[in-house]
Amino acid sequence: MADCRKIFSTFVCLSVVFFLLVVDSPALGVKKKENALGDKVQQLMEWSSKRPVIRMNGDKFRQYVRAAPRNYSVILMLTALQPQRQCTVCRQANDEFQIVANSWRYSPSFSNKLFFASVDYDEGADVFSTLKLNSAPSFMHFPGKGKPKKGDTFDIQRTGFAAESIAKWINERTDVHIRVFRPPNYSGSIALGLLFTLIGGLLYLRRNNLEFLYNKTSWGIGALCIVFAMTSGQMWNHIRGPPYAHKNPQTGQVHYIHGSSQAQFIAETHIVILLHAAVTFGMVLLHETAVSKGDVGKRRIVTLVGLGIVAFFFSLLLSIFKSKYHGYPYSFLIK
Amino acid sequence: MTVSGLQGKLSSTCPKTCPILPNLQKSKSKACCKRKTENKHPGCDRRPPASANTTYQDPPPKSRTIKMSTAVRGKLPWPLKMSYDKQDTLLKLFVLSIAAVLSFSTRLFSVLRFESVIHEFDPYFNYRTTWFLTEEGFYSFHNWFDDRAWYPLGRIIGGTIYPGLMVTSATLYHVLHFFNITIDIRNVCVFLAPLFSSLTTLVTYHLTKELKDVSSGLVAAAMIAAVPGYISRSVAGSYDNEGIAIFCMLLTYLLWIKAVKTGSLFWGAMCALAYFYMVSSWGGYVFLINLIPLHVLALMATGRFSHRIYVAYSAVYSLGTLLSMQISFVGFQPVQSSEHMAALGVFGLCQIHSFIDYLRAKLSKEYFEILFRTMALFVGTAVTGVGAVLMASGSILQLRCLNVSEHQPTTWSSFYCDLQMLVFMFPVGLYYCFCRLTDANIFIVIYGITSIYFAGVMVRLMLVLAPVMCILSGIGVSGILSTYMKNLDISKVQKKTKKTENYPIKNEVASVVIMMMSLFLITYTFHCTWVTSEAYSSPSIVLSARGGDGSRIIFDDFREAYYWLRHNTPEDAKVMSWWDYGYQITAMANRTILVDNNTWNNTHISRVGQAMASSEEHAYEIMRELDVNYVLVIFGGLTGYSSD
Repeated sequence: MADCRKIFSTFVCLSVVFFLLVVDSPALGVKKKENALGDKVQQLMEWSSKRPVIRMNGDKFRQYVRAAPRNYSVILMLTALQPQRQCTVCRQANDEFQIVANSWRYSPSFSNKLFFASVDYDEGADVFSTLKLNSAPSFMHFPGKGKPKKGDTFDIQRTGFAAESIAKWINERTDVHIRVFRPPNYSGSIALGLLFTLIGGLLYLRRNNLEFLYNKTSWGIGALCIVFAMTSGQMWNHIRGPPYAHKNPQTGQVHYIHGSSQAQFIAETHIVILLHAAVTFGMVLLHETAVSKGDVGKRRIVTLVGLGIVAFFFSLLLSIFKSKYHGYPYSFLIK
Repeated sequence: MTVSGLQGKLSSTCPKTCPILPNLQKSKSKACCKRKTENKHPGCDRRPPASANTTYQDPPPKSRTIKMSTAVRGKLPWPLKMSYDKQDTLLKLFVLSIAAVLSFSTRLFSVLRFESVIHEFDPYFNYRTTWFLTEEGFYSFHNWFDDRAWYPLGRIIGGTIYPGLMVTSATLYHVLHFFNITIDIRNVCVFLAPLFSSLTTLVTYHLTKELKDVSSGLVAAAMIAAVPGYISRSVAGSYDNEGIAIFCMLLTYLLWIKAVKTGSLFWGAMCALAYFYMVSSWGGYVFLINLIPLHVLALMATGRFSHRIYVAYSAVYSLGTLLSMQISFVGFQPVQSSEHMAALGVFGLCQIHSFIDYLRAKLSKEYFEILFRTMALFVGTAVTGVGAVLMASGSILQLRCLNVSEHQPTTWSSFYCDLQMLVFMFPVGLYYCFCRLTDANIFIVIYGITSIYFAGVMVRLMLVLAPVMCILSGIGVSGILSTYMKNLDISKVQKKTKKTENYPIKNEVASVVIMMMSLFLITYTFHCTWVTSEAYSSPSIVLSARGGDGSRIIFDDFREAYYWLRHNTPEDAKVMSWWDYGYQITAMANRTILVDNNTWNNTHISRVGQAMASSEEHAYEIMRELDVNYVLVIFGGLTGYSSD
């Protein structure tokens, strides 16, 4: 009887212990999982506090973005920023992405539910192959629960990659509202401030002798410079940004003058400025010699020189114009 | 730099100021302040004496009266029998009338090649509104709500257009009909622009005469008759605002210069009336209302401000602004929008400047100094405060640029194509102006520089540049020609025993120079006519091509389609087309349309675009919703129309 009771009590103790162990382990497993998730979130928060866009490679991607458990969303940018890839679009998209990430990082609603990460092709090519992507840049949203759907890939072709569009897409996918804050560009203001200090300094230095402001000749030369710059098409250059000259790849010949009248090269505008200035100078010379006082013979020669300058440079201008306007029938001295 | 520092530099014999109101200061120096006509202030320039080689010294004129015996005189032909004054007048009239006839006739290429038809798209809207005005009268026109455009929204026409063009044509039409010269309204519209270009020629002559002298005026008038930059927007058939706007603009400038030179209220009021005409005709009046204040500012900065400019500008600004607000489209903008604020600011500055001059004349020196310093401090802080508030609220001038083909920047070849030799005679004219600066010259210099900047940014504004190019080139060309003409030895009667020092450039060299200038002017004419004929004379509603055997084939498809619509569809049919053809359909087919060239409602336009770009089922639904009965489709087919 005593043996039976001993056996029974040990059996009960063992079963209780065993039961406790078995019952405890799921809870322990849950606690372990919770610890794991909390660790992940904490690690991500730590990284994003150092840098708003977390740089990832293949392993980090699999651990933090793909593997369960996750209760946060990740916005991932897949890009190729190395110089040898020559992906200018990637650089611009990267700038816009940084603006969105910064706006999120410093917004009042910042939480641990949304993280920004990026994978460069040269650091994580396996990520690209896992996701079956072969073009960059590309933005993807990985939700906390489930797999990414069709709408979780941002359609850059359709919407472009402006920071505002990215924020709008994030809002659609995650219901998190990010107010995009573009850091103010101070370069214009700084340049203006420098200009004003320069002018102020100049005026202050010469405050006793401000006669140069009244000098008609300097104003006249300034006005003429503006005129020459404008009539040679400098505004067109500034807005359209043409090349300096064009080198024909087959023949290797360098063209300084554009073939059609709809466009021009920078070299061409410089040539035109020189031609206009030369003709104007010739005309002014003609006038000056007639009214100035001096040696008669010399003035006569200068008149002839002025005349020659005007005729020659005008015919040059006309021939350049003719080469651009096919079908123009007139020419002066030079064909 | 304080005012006192500047005054210390002036010569001590001159009074420091000239009184604004001459009758209050009888005790001041009489030699000063006769500033009625020119500001020749004897010995008393506020500006430092210019160095000798920058002033233009006209060589003393040789006596030109040729002593002829009456017997010799009797044998001459009749033009040379008259006195020099009469010859002068005859020559001027002759040149001006040829220039006016030339400017009219060079714009008639398309009328001769095709027929008298209105070109392009926008002129059809202007034609339709003018027709409405002549039929219904001014009050219906002013209150017109058009329900045949932008169905189902409609468009308020009375308050959203510049009525000057339509009113001008309608007035001309009624005047002609009063004298029983029954010209159809369409022909009045087609030929209005060439008529006004002739008038522009005359106005340019007068303006340049005010700026320099008669000979420059004649050259400038001849140049503006042919310049392609102006012709491009004023050919016969191009019935658009710019056709009369350039005339109004130059008229306003002429009257402004006269007001500045005489300082009389009469010319100021006339200038304000001309400005009203300008505001009624074109939206480009904003350029004027910023240029005139800029001129006044420049005069203040160079120390040329006087009571003449005060009177002129005050009259022009106050009367002009009041008159400009009578146009419904302008409304209250002159006191609200940022584009007009410069004029208001300069107006205030004028009052302050004159008041300071008045005080300076009244008070003694010390009191004036104290008052000036305190006031300057006070006003300065007030102005900076107001300026900071304004900048914070963001009401700074913004330049709006639309991406239309005419709104592209300008290449140098466009400049050359539109202006040819004016491009390099313009700097020569500028140089002449700088040699001899007067109040009026400063105006033309500022006008030239600002318009060349704007023309560089936008091709369409070449139109505003063309007149000033002609004026300054006229000054340049006539300067050179008159200098060398004096060197020509034309009088064989007079025996020259000694060579004068002033005319050392001998006969041959002078004649070579003059021949070359004439050659340039002839080349200019050839170029302008060629460009007008090739580039600017196509009506674009009628197309022509050369067949295989060289015969000319005319494509009149547009008009045939519109007249088919007019004759074969019910009165209330609605036509859907792309917005380019809207004006033409309402004018020629007289049917209701959905969208037209006004493009004021982009959502409606995008709905039409959606209907045209969708599949048939979807498009049909949209068209049923918009009550569309007919659709206009353009297709080039064998001819390969450019938009296929």
